[in-house]
Amino acid sequence: MCVTSWQKQILSETKSLANIVLDMKKIYLSVVLVFIASWGSAGLVGQCDADNLSNACIPKLSGGFNFLKSYKIDGEGGTKDKVEYSYVFTKGTQYMINLCADGNGPDGLVVSLYDSQRNKVASSKVNGQFISAIAYPCNATGIYYIQYTFDGSATYCGGSALGFKR
Amino acid sequence: MQFWYVKVDFFILYDKLSVMRILSLALTAAFLMSCSSGKKPDEQAFENSLDSAMMEGSSIDQEVIGSILDQIPSPLEISVLLKESGIKYNADLLNSPDNLPKYNSNYKMALNLGIYGTDLGYTNIYGQNQSGIKYLSSIKSLANQLNIGQFFDIETIGRLATNSKNLDSLLLITTQNFNAINHYLQQQNRSSLSVLLLTGGWLEAMQVTCQVASSNPSHKELREKIGEQKITLEQILLLFSFYESDENMASLLSELKELEAAFSKITITYTYKESSMEVVNGVAVIKDNSTTTIDITEEDVRNIMAKTNSIRNKIIS
Repeated sequence: MCVTSWQKQILSETKSLANIVLDMKKIYLSVVLVFIASWGSAGLVGQCDADNLSNACIPKLSGGFNFLKSYKIDGEGGTKDKVEYSYVFTKGTQYMINLCADGNGPDGLVVSLYDSQRNKVASSKVNGQFISAIAYPCNATGIYYIQYTFDGSATYCGGSALGFKR
Repeated sequence: MQFWYVKVDFFILYDKLSVMRILSLALTAAFLMSCSSGKKPDEQAFENSLDSAMMEGSSIDQEVIGSILDQIPSPLEISVLLKESGIKYNADLLNSPDNLPKYNSNYKMALNLGIYGTDLGYTNIYGQNQSGIKYLSSIKSLANQLNIGQFFDIETIGRLATNSKNLDSLLLITTQNFNAINHYLQQQNRSSLSVLLLTGGWLEAMQVTCQVASSNPSHKELREKIGEQKITLEQILLLFSFYESDENMASLLSELKELEAAFSKITITYTYKESSMEVVNGVAVIKDNSTTTIDITEEDVRNIMAKTNSIRNKIIS
């Protein structure tokens, strides 16, 4: 009787140890998964080197245009649907806004220009075609909104430069 | 024997609890790490604005200030207009780089850094390289004193300035340096200096334009250019409203409000008309059909010039 009890206890403790090992495995797996998920998501955000892309856009301004501003476009992996900046454009000056993304073409990045009353005055998407630069000979002085949106973008990431000439 | 098992059981239970506790702590830590590493810029901007509110002593939203600062047009645009209009270079319009020792407070240094920045752009546009190097030296000195000297590579800029063929590179690098300074000051919660820097630059461009316009009263575009500055002045006044608790800023704000009064008679009429566009050599070229008309008289120009000079003279002296 005593031996049976001893055996039962041994069996019970073995089961308990096995459970602990199984629990530890599950928890360890969870910890690994949480780390992978957190580093993965951080990595996705970190992958957007908008600073570098906006700097790369500056020399791509057409000849004769003086550099004014560079803009970072980071859609945070698709969580942001637009990125917006503003600038006072003046009558008699021609402005150029270009787009840069990883690889060839603007990767679904679209730049649109709105006047101070939010009327759309320009867009880089023309008849379904993505254009990588717009030239805007300004005829009306005022605050303009430079809005970047993503239309089928793979990276939601890019850069842009603003230049002017008379 | 029974007691031994109870003991073993207790340790097993204790070990299990410890393991669970350690792992739950690890999980919590991992979760917190994942939260902090994936922090969105908006959240970061909010936290920064709280920090800056503490640093700058009021509830200042850095993101709002940054977006208004970004709107202010570059003084370079006016220098290019003057050059393209056939206006001759005039060094007497500028603040002498020899005035540098007069500027001892951060307030004066930031304003005059902006003024010298505009003067440097003006000399660069006109290819006045020797004058440009003097301005560059004063700019570097002011920037060093404001702990932003690292943004000026004086050797590279100096080398570019010795050859007029490098004009594009020179303009590019100086514009990039000033942009970098403004972004850095905003990141460091020192936006008030950024506001002063841009205001100084704008006032200098205004002063030069007013002087040139008064000497060329028939030059309609220059007069209109002055009138258009009503829009930028409104943005600058908005920026100063964030810093009214600062004595120097409040004093300058009061002067700028007097300048705003000089602009009060000027009307800017905007008429929107849908634009059209065509693609030329891979560029979407817009045809802007909207217009603005600016009503400004010679008397308005005189009043604006008098007030602008009065403010500027206090800053540069």
